[in-house]
Amino acid sequence: MLGSTKGSYPTFHAKPDYSEQDPEQIFITMLYLLKIFLNEKIHPKKHDVQCICFSSAMHSVLPIDKNGVPIGNAMVWSDNRAKKEADELKESPLGKELYYRTGTPIHAMSPLNKIVWLRNNDPGRFSAADKFLSIKTYILEQLTGEYVIDHSVASATGMMNIHTLTWDDDAVKYAGISKDKLADLATVFHIAGKLKPEYQASLRLHDRVKLIIGSSDGCMATLGAGVWGDGKATVTLEESGAIRVVGKEILQDEKQRLFNYLLAEGNYVSGGPTNNVGSAFEWYAKQFGDFNKVYELDDCIRNLINDAAKVPVGSCGLIFLPYLQGERAPMWNANARGVYFGLNIKHELQHLVRATIEGILYAFYSISKVLEEHRIIACLSANGTYASFPVWMQMMADIFDKPVNIKKNSGPDSVACGSYLVGATEMGLYKDLEHAAQKVKLQESYHPQEQNHKIYMKHYAVFESLSLKLHNEFKAIADLQHDY
Amino acid sequence: MNQYCLKKDCKELHAFPHIVEFAYKKVNAIQFDSLKKEVSAFLRFYYVIEGRFDWVIDDQVYILYPGDLAMILPGQSFGGEKDLLGIGTINWLHLKLKQFDRNGKMLMGKWSRLSDREANTLGRILSFNNTPVLSRLKEAGTIFQNMQNEFMNQEIGQTVRVNQLIDELLILSARHLTRQNNSRRDFPQIFMKLEQALRENLSHQWTLEEMAALVGLGNTAFSEKVKSYTGFSPLNYLINIRITEAIKLLKKPNVHVTDIALDVGFYSSQHFATTFKKLTGYTPSEFRKKHIPSSDENL
Repeated sequence: MLGSTKGSYPTFHAKPDYSEQDPEQIFITMLYLLKIFLNEKIHPKKHDVQCICFSSAMHSVLPIDKNGVPIGNAMVWSDNRAKKEADELKESPLGKELYYRTGTPIHAMSPLNKIVWLRNNDPGRFSAADKFLSIKTYILEQLTGEYVIDHSVASATGMMNIHTLTWDDDAVKYAGISKDKLADLATVFHIAGKLKPEYQASLRLHDRVKLIIGSSDGCMATLGAGVWGDGKATVTLEESGAIRVVGKEILQDEKQRLFNYLLAEGNYVSGGPTNNVGSAFEWYAKQFGDFNKVYELDDCIRNLINDAAKVPVGSCGLIFLPYLQGERAPMWNANARGVYFGLNIKHELQHLVRATIEGILYAFYSISKVLEEHRIIACLSANGTYASFPVWMQMMADIFDKPVNIKKNSGPDSVACGSYLVGATEMGLYKDLEHAAQKVKLQESYHPQEQNHKIYMKHYAVFESLSLKLHNEFKAIADLQHDY
Repeated sequence: MNQYCLKKDCKELHAFPHIVEFAYKKVNAIQFDSLKKEVSAFLRFYYVIEGRFDWVIDDQVYILYPGDLAMILPGQSFGGEKDLLGIGTINWLHLKLKQFDRNGKMLMGKWSRLSDREANTLGRILSFNNTPVLSRLKEAGTIFQNMQNEFMNQEIGQTVRVNQLIDELLILSARHLTRQNNSRRDFPQIFMKLEQALRENLSHQWTLEEMAALVGLGNTAFSEKVKSYTGFSPLNYLINIRITEAIKLLKKPNVHVTDIALDVGFYSSQHFATTFKKLTGYTPSEFRKKHIPSSDENL
């Protein structure tokens, strides 16, 4: 690996449940970073850039007008405004049909429901829209002039049929649009047109450079984590998280709790997302962390994790439900909220820290239990920010009762790694993705400790029971909180 | 002494046309209508020496304790809850500024040693961190006490000293405000607020110092934090936003390219064109032509 660079752009929350990003800002940030990176690390060494492979987050919706100009900001994955639309669809027989055909759970995150929301609540923008794009499609169109979307991102829109690999007539009709308002479907290996000459000049690239459309961040992370074939699952621990498996079959879950997104070559990435991983732990750190000795949040987090390690397994009978931002899999309940349960007079802050981590991991475990109704999971591959903490990894191994592997040195993150593997496969360096995945070397291993697992399972039983039991209370409290 | 009050046009304030009112007051009993709600064009400071006060600033209720300083901006309303001043001991100062608008453009007047740029930045800090009550600011009490001594003792150098103290009060308030509001724990949140302020005032020639001052960090610490969070230095991030807004305006066919340059904060259309071309490979006009086929060539 020659180098990496990162940058960021903001997410706007103009109203509660709104999460938007500025598509032009995303484009300029990407262009600027790419330019800086090429000028600092690549061009000075006279490397020949052969291809650029793209990856992006899922579930975004950006309406554009007939000139291709964005109408307003893009709604991103965490946007929750289409709750009502999602509930309506989920309760209908069409909802279940669409879930099986498209592989996307019926939830506010789904672009299908977002477009319905636009139709119901922003008719001006809806009717002015010539197309409804994903952010990646817009970026690629700016670079090349082609409107194209890959199967992975498309299979997370709730509108693509993952069996036929075409836009689903019923879904499109339900959204109130026609197929020509969506981008053209393509495989993840598709070359998205030629880079416009002006960008070639600015980035100092030749006109043979291939822009490979690539996949979604979830699928890329799974590939880049070396997860392939039976028995393996990947656990991503960032602000939010997910647990995923790869297989040639679509997981048909009766209760519609899991997603099935197409990666490529008949391989599907299936699993469940969870909302509250890093975001929950950082909430805890900001509220209860000791900032007398440290200035930076990261240092505080490190100290808290060290404190948690000294507390007995099970946090002396303290359970944390981590649903600070509602929860997606397996409950798919936007009303779910956080709970510290079982507080007694002897509990101290250190017990709360450990309980917080345990609760976050129990949430992952609850998704894996659903996955295991369909697949065998023998070991886990962890990636993301929190995979770098041994305390978390050992706890995960103990809770799941399975070995946990991570990459030895934090090299490029799994998404970047996955993007490389897709690009390299397209260029012929690997025969197919299966061979590419085998190149991922996982090293450090955490092994489950049986006696800890037993203790965790006793506590998990309470966690699981509470999560289900509080359904009505979650709704009541969420309604009360609506006014704040 | 129960009360000491200087009002505009009294002989002690002869050398201070910018001081509209300066007072010290000890209240022992409730007096009805002692503090009726009022909007004024002046910058008003109220410091609590003793007692507890329930005041309404800009239609929100605040409770102030000894050591707290209330700072009411020109145009904001201020009054006691139920129109009562309250019981205790307070100081206050009403200051007439040469200029103040809610976007933060603020000019003090000749009496102040702050440069126009500093005054402007200060104004932005006051608007950016819109909290009227600064808690536990004992130094403000000392400043008021010193000012009162100056007025009473009339010693040599009095004019310079009083104006110095007013500058000090302004600087102290601005620094305390940024520290109080911008908890170090949440740089992402602070940065979001800054981004918003930048976008709302994009035509302004922001400097590193101004941006850092808004969030209450030193230049180096600010640059490091921004670079680590966004991947860009503060000034490059600003260019990033300027170009982003420029793109949006270029895609609107009826805005002149020259206007775009100045609106998004480039100091000339030449500077805009050069920076735009360097990043995107297009000149602004070429970009517009390629993206909006129907646009008027003359724009």
